[in-house]
Amino acid sequence: MTSKLGLLLRLAVIRPRFAIGYLIVITMTLLAIFAPVIAPYSPTEADSASFLQPPSAAHLFGTDNVGMDIFSRSIYAPRIDLTIAILGTLLSAVVGSSIGAVVGFYSSGRGIRVWLSFAIMRAADVLQAFPVFVFAIALVASLGQSIQTVVLAIAFVNAPIYLRLMRSQVLTIRSMRYVEASQVNGLSDMQTIMRHVIPNAMAPVLAQLSVNIGWGILLTAALSFVGAGVRAPTPEWGSMIAMGFQNVVTGQWWPSMFPGAMLAITVFGFSLVGASIEVVADPAKRRQLLSEARERTARTADAPVREG
Amino acid sequence: MADKFTRIQLAPTRRQFLKTTAAVGGAAVLSSTGRFGEALAQDANSTLVIAAPATPQGLDIEFDVSLGSIDSLGALYEYMLGYEKMEDPNAPGVLREDTGVHTDKPNNLALRGRLAESWEVAPDGRKATFKLREGVVSNWGNKFSSKDVKWTWDRKFNLKGQGLFQTAVLGLTSPDQIKVEGDYAISFNLDKPNPLLLKQQCNLANPIYDATKCAEVGGTDDPWAVNFLKNDSAGFGPYRIAQLVRGQQAVFEARDDYWDEKPFMKRVIMREVPQSSSRFSLLQGGAVDIAQFLQPRELEALKTQPAAAVDAVNASYMIWLELNAKMAPFDNVDVRRAVNLAIPRDEIIRTIYYGYADEQKAPMPYIYPMADESFFNYGYDLAKAKELLDKAGAKNLATSLSYNAGDPTQEPIALLIQTALKQIGIELTLEKLPAGVFYENVTKRAKPMIFYLDSPWTPDPGYSTYLYFNSESYVNYSNYDNKNVDQMIKDGLATLDDNVRKEKYTEVQKTLMDEAPWGFIAYPKYTLARKANLKGFTYYTSNNLRFQDFTRG
Repeated sequence: MTSKLGLLLRLAVIRPRFAIGYLIVITMTLLAIFAPVIAPYSPTEADSASFLQPPSAAHLFGTDNVGMDIFSRSIYAPRIDLTIAILGTLLSAVVGSSIGAVVGFYSSGRGIRVWLSFAIMRAADVLQAFPVFVFAIALVASLGQSIQTVVLAIAFVNAPIYLRLMRSQVLTIRSMRYVEASQVNGLSDMQTIMRHVIPNAMAPVLAQLSVNIGWGILLTAALSFVGAGVRAPTPEWGSMIAMGFQNVVTGQWWPSMFPGAMLAITVFGFSLVGASIEVVADPAKRRQLLSEARERTARTADAPVREG
Repeated sequence: MADKFTRIQLAPTRRQFLKTTAAVGGAAVLSSTGRFGEALAQDANSTLVIAAPATPQGLDIEFDVSLGSIDSLGALYEYMLGYEKMEDPNAPGVLREDTGVHTDKPNNLALRGRLAESWEVAPDGRKATFKLREGVVSNWGNKFSSKDVKWTWDRKFNLKGQGLFQTAVLGLTSPDQIKVEGDYAISFNLDKPNPLLLKQQCNLANPIYDATKCAEVGGTDDPWAVNFLKNDSAGFGPYRIAQLVRGQQAVFEARDDYWDEKPFMKRVIMREVPQSSSRFSLLQGGAVDIAQFLQPRELEALKTQPAAAVDAVNASYMIWLELNAKMAPFDNVDVRRAVNLAIPRDEIIRTIYYGYADEQKAPMPYIYPMADESFFNYGYDLAKAKELLDKAGAKNLATSLSYNAGDPTQEPIALLIQTALKQIGIELTLEKLPAGVFYENVTKRAKPMIFYLDSPWTPDPGYSTYLYFNSESYVNYSNYDNKNVDQMIKDGLATLDDNVRKEKYTEVQKTLMDEAPWGFIAYPKYTLARKANLKGFTYYTSNNLRFQDFTRG
């Protein structure tokens, strides 16, 4: 674990964009944790005495059309957006990976298990055939508008991704000698899957997590933008953009611009982190990057010293 | 007939729209280059292009009162009577209906004949006889006569749509009460006198149909021409519909054989532009003549544009909260009063409406005769509101406020109310509902507190209070039930004596304000954002446009 963390830090030095990604994610996480301390105003109380004020010292990001401070709301928003996206993604990863592992393990041979695996894969095909956003809206519409529903919607639309990812890994791993050895030693299929298959197939899943968290944030914001996400006045970037975008045409750009920028930066940050995890998880990419780093260090060391 | 339907159901004509708007813009350039240019300029000059939030969903008032539909009605159909027009005292250049009480005029009303040339109300107020105009033809060339009026009212009885309310409010219980008295004479015969008898003939919901055409197209399968009138018109108004592509555009053409003054605008294009900001941009760029239903801050922004103008007139609109009297906590009158004391009306009007609204201080439109704002006792007073909640024994109240996602003003109003109510100890959860679900919830009366924006079309206190507060009315969405109020409303609708009526409706308003079945919010103004050279805007209490009013100056 420590070596992986060390590797990530080295990668951050070699590829500065990865460092930017970590910085963004850490900043957003800190904002989410310390929002009550940092925010100068309540994020949910209207103040009509100062509606639609442009950015100023009193209101760094200005105010919206009912006088709520956009800076305060923007830094409270990660609490909702990150929580929903992380919970939704984790739920989809746990459920999707577990099913994927079982399906992958039983994907060949004969009997009811194979048919069941086949049926599950076709069901996943059907789920993935729907446009993700439309599918999420339909879920929210049928289950009701709440944070839990948005979490469920994210989990539901992402689960097939993890299912496929884990299945493809397990298809390779199940024929490994250590898997056969565990069964020879008397472990049941489930024990083998839990102890030996899943732990060895997790790397790509972990790499996918960060990317999906970014997409989860986008999906949460998109649902709120169309009014199917969290309820007003909960501070959430998508609903803030929705409430403010009509003002842009009359010159009040700030109610939607700042939450929009925060949203874009956060998703960008998670994508970079995802990319770095992918490098760590992939031995070939990792080796290539480290060798590049070594060569660069060597070139720097061999460079002639200019004498004055 | 076939040609007509083909035209109506033609594929969308975005190209035509662009052509027309290009013609409007390019006409000035081309006009200097010869006759072709002159002709184009002439064409553009007499074409009215409207950016509307929606095209008509249907053209039959019996089943459809959506925005695009009501704007179409006044163009396609003619009415028995109309109000005289007068200058709007607060909006220079704007005309409006003269709906006041005029003791110097017959029946105390300033009416003018439309399809009815003259009329006479019996001294006991139970019979009105109308002499009908001769020489009027419909958009299908059929002559107007008393059988058209009779068929129109028979249709209301048979279809049992919104027309049933029109018959009920007049006290009509049978189609036999409307009698043909000759080819050009018809009478309405009531059991009791009714002060609405003449007023209802002006109501937008009572257009006169061409019975001959309707019988021809409906046959025995559809005797009331429901299918036909949904997509086409058979009336005596100044326009015919040339094209209706729902969700895209409706095109109206002026009729050369219209009986009254020919409209200046020969062609009207109503283009659907759902986003208010897009309608704003189209008007700003000069691509349309009218941008309907802009947001208040967009109206403010247009004030600085020399090529655009904004008219804002006092209107019959009201926006209020339905406080459901049969659901906790609003089954307690003191809670309803407390909510009223905590509604920050001046903040709402200043920040959400930018001044394009007035505080609602009566349970009916303030522009209507006999409206009385003197009983309003709900100035913003949180201390008094808390006292009332204490008196009601209501502590740590939690309830919800549902609002319409389709109305961009409701969410910010809800946020201001939420903040205000929090200060008196009421935790409000905001529930945003898609437009369709919202109206379903309003009619089901399933929510403790829900917004409502509406206007009673007939400028009369009896009509308005009967609509919203009579315990038997289907529009009484707040579940208000007071038998004394019911009786007073009915008494006021059974006498022609305006002094007696005023006494009754003053008492009704006093009781309603005291018992607060609504959370009174505001009277939004009717606003029209238009090109500066477009003249003739006239305000009607049904809050619709009539294309025939417009000219260019």
